[in-house]
Amino acid sequence: MTMFRAPLSRRTLLRGAGVAIGLPMLEAMIPTRARAQSASPQRYVVMFGGHSLGCDGTTNAFAPNAVGPGYDLSPALTPLGDLSVQNDVSVISGLKVPWAGGGAVPAGGRPNDFHVNASGPLLCGVRASGALTCNGPTSDQLVAAAIAGSTTFKSLVFRAQPVHYAPFDFPGVEAGFMSYQANPAGGAPLGIQPVVSPQAAFNSLFSGITTGLTPDQIARKNLLLRGKVSVLDLVGGETQRLVPKLGVADQLRISRHLDEIRELERRISAMPPAVAGSCQKPTDPGMDPPVGADDTDTNNDQRLEFPGTAGTSNEDLRARVFCDLITMAFACDQSRVASLMLTEFASAMNVQPFAGFAADVHFVSHGRDGLGGTVELNGKVVSWHVKQFAYLVSRLKATPDGAGTLLDNSALVYVCEGGWGTDATGGTPGSHSTENMGALIAGRAGGLKPGKHVAGAGRHPGQVIASAMNAVGVPGNLGEVQGNIPELFT
Amino acid sequence: MRTAIAALAVVFSGCTADIVSPSTPPPGSSGRVRSELTAWSSGARRLSRLEYDNALRDLVGETTRPAWNMLPEDTYTPFDNDYTTQNPSAALVDGADSIADAVIASALADPSRRPLIVPCAASGPDDSTCFRAFVASFGLKVLRRPLASDEIDRFAALQSYSVEAGDFDFGVALAAGALLEHPEFLYRLELAGSGPLSDYEIASRLSFLIWGSIPDQALFTDAAAGMLATADGRRAAATRMLADPRALQRWSQFHAFWLGYFTLPHSQQLNDAMHAESQALVQDVVFSRGADYREMFTSPRTFIDNVLADQYGLAEPGSAQWVSYDGTQRLGILSHGSVLSAFAKFTDTSPTQRGIFIRTRLLCGVVPPPPSNVATDAPPSAGTGSPCKVDRYAEHRSNPVCAGCHNQLDPLGFGLERYDQAGQYRTTDDGLPQCTITGDGETPELGAFNGPGELGTKLAESGRLEACVTKQLYRFAIGREDTGTDDANLAELTARFNEDGRRFTDLLLELVSSDAFAHAPSQGG
Repeated sequence: MTMFRAPLSRRTLLRGAGVAIGLPMLEAMIPTRARAQSASPQRYVVMFGGHSLGCDGTTNAFAPNAVGPGYDLSPALTPLGDLSVQNDVSVISGLKVPWAGGGAVPAGGRPNDFHVNASGPLLCGVRASGALTCNGPTSDQLVAAAIAGSTTFKSLVFRAQPVHYAPFDFPGVEAGFMSYQANPAGGAPLGIQPVVSPQAAFNSLFSGITTGLTPDQIARKNLLLRGKVSVLDLVGGETQRLVPKLGVADQLRISRHLDEIRELERRISAMPPAVAGSCQKPTDPGMDPPVGADDTDTNNDQRLEFPGTAGTSNEDLRARVFCDLITMAFACDQSRVASLMLTEFASAMNVQPFAGFAADVHFVSHGRDGLGGTVELNGKVVSWHVKQFAYLVSRLKATPDGAGTLLDNSALVYVCEGGWGTDATGGTPGSHSTENMGALIAGRAGGLKPGKHVAGAGRHPGQVIASAMNAVGVPGNLGEVQGNIPELFT
Repeated sequence: MRTAIAALAVVFSGCTADIVSPSTPPPGSSGRVRSELTAWSSGARRLSRLEYDNALRDLVGETTRPAWNMLPEDTYTPFDNDYTTQNPSAALVDGADSIADAVIASALADPSRRPLIVPCAASGPDDSTCFRAFVASFGLKVLRRPLASDEIDRFAALQSYSVEAGDFDFGVALAAGALLEHPEFLYRLELAGSGPLSDYEIASRLSFLIWGSIPDQALFTDAAAGMLATADGRRAAATRMLADPRALQRWSQFHAFWLGYFTLPHSQQLNDAMHAESQALVQDVVFSRGADYREMFTSPRTFIDNVLADQYGLAEPGSAQWVSYDGTQRLGILSHGSVLSAFAKFTDTSPTQRGIFIRTRLLCGVVPPPPSNVATDAPPSAGTGSPCKVDRYAEHRSNPVCAGCHNQLDPLGFGLERYDQAGQYRTTDDGLPQCTITGDGETPELGAFNGPGELGTKLAESGRLEACVTKQLYRFAIGREDTGTDDANLAELTARFNEDGRRFTDLLLELVSSDAFAHAPSQGG
């Protein structure tokens, strides 16, 4: 049995004799898991979009008409066909998060006010209590605790929409959080600040890879790596000296900052992925698209007082790069778990670039107010989100893993903020609500059998998430929501 | 268990108890004895993204705004610098790491910027004199205080990498990166505990308050000479700093956060024109003329280009310039497209949101959050009655659950209703010519008004603006919401503002020249 043998870290070698640098990989450096022939690790992705499925209360652009395999592609689902992944994706319609109405908040449900209670029931399956947070850990964190193993990144937490755009309308950073972890100190779960910079994500995941470099470049890179570790040692030490000089509240915050520096040092010191087979260094995405600058903006660098605030930041490219990074992080076993928030809760992102109409995602979900043709427009918004999910599915499908593909060893789930139809919030036509919600699930981990349309018939979206969790080997429920969707496995 | 009846009680009690704005402090009278300000409690203040980018600009000439583009967004309270909302995260620390590497590499590779980091010509990779000189001079600017010699030793130890690489700058990049990841760069840490702040801590307070950036060489020189420990020294330094363009940038941003237009929802061209208009008014009233601050709300002219002239129905001026508002009912900043664009909803105005704006931002009142079992998202929709917005909102308010708060918000917002969400004038609902907009509004404090011009005038005449702008400036300055312990400071500053001609920059100078500005509070403060 070798499973408890600690692999030599590259840092061990680097700290030893310099002669080790540039030598080929030693067998002892390859983690045990990478040598196991049969059992590929399972991978898990949960993706979220801050849109609804309908906007006039009675129609939607999402749910297929036919139930079962070979379902028809609704306008919003056409990317599944465009990217040839329809048979890899199941659509679940007719889901519902129950609400309080005039009574108590039900298990896994919400008080009446839609947006501020949207997050918890959907993402952690625990009833909301009037705040946009999770009263339990989210699925990605539960899965990471179970299957991350010795990967360098226990979970990846990304968001494509980098900023809120309309801070007056729906305040609070929580609108941009979809991952929560249990609080080690007890109390409410902690929201995880997502990485919004594709460039920073690339740097931390893949900058250590030396493939393709000349021996001189590799030597320099290794020296730089050692230097970076020294830098973080130094910064950590300086921070530690400061902490006792601070007041109590500041001690807590700066200690947390120190913890993150130590974490970064640990990740930088970890062995970079062995480039072989499917694991290849992805293309450097380069500088991030400017935040808040629309496609016509040529002046962003010069605008000193008010940097771009036009409501878009090329989220299309950002989402695609994050999907590429997730794919390669999985292929290189840098990580096995990811959450990707495409757009924030009640998203104020401008849909102009892909819908041809200047309005924000949230507004389009309210489309009936003086706009017209809104089912079609909202369909474009839903479709844009579906396209990102379909793209990740297609990338995993195209990436060999073990005897099959990454997709065969993955479960991916897509959920969105709202459904369509009238709910308890009363006299409005229910431009968005938690009635008739939808979800997508993809992959073949754990016996998932994708490629069908399942009528949810009032079941909870948390059951779809639980199905994906169960598929990657994490048994049980999501929060208070009982069970999974059995049809997804048959 | 929540019930509709309970919700009703919450709505009513919340609104009747809390929604009315604070009463006016007594106006200053000549001969009033001034009281000293009390040192306020503070905490570790992380640089906002804007401050971070300003610091990188002033340190190494970096202008690509890396923090704005790579770091997690700040929380807007409405200001971006409330330290009580700042939590460390992996996204922050990893982002700072990426930024430090990229910014230093780019500056070292640029011969025109490299001297900003390395002040000497190294004789070779092992030139320890030059390396230590770099650590000392760059460290002073980054950490905003002189480094102790043992500290310089620790950073200078990274020169071993220069030697190993045969490249002086190799170790420089590492040490400069370490400085940029140092918590004393990322945070403003005041280590005095209680009592007087150090000269350098005062310098940072001044520079971040007035410029949103690090101190310049002159300020470091003042600090080294002990000048900033005196009220006169701080006043002189601040006066010099207010003449720098960075001050205009900083206080334009302050107004944009306060009045909600930092982010605008239009095309970049229109956004730029709106920001330019409001910035010009700040520059004119606050900086160029040092005028009575109330002119911000009553100015009879405005700075517009053709784009905004079309928007406002004024004659196109050709190039951007000051024009009279004559022929319109517009006056002051509340008539700007920027302010009128803020707080819009659903691509139309929201009288409710504008009511909240007037109540909280202009009158510094409080609006309690709606109870969670009341749906707040959907705008009042056309039921069976009139399609006109004013009627739909009235119908909404006939619902007793909604009426408690909306009766106290919507009538304020309807006073701006003749100006749409992009600042255009209108007299009927969009697409509904039968729906006349009266533009009549009313607040309990200011009485009836019609339009942003009249609202601004009444606000300026009410004696309430002074306390509110003082409170906003104070919050921005101290990096948190004010609490009861700040009330005396707010009252004193407001009184001085009233007594001294209501010059905005004087308010800043009063703040920085107070003893409190140079002190941490006594224990427990």
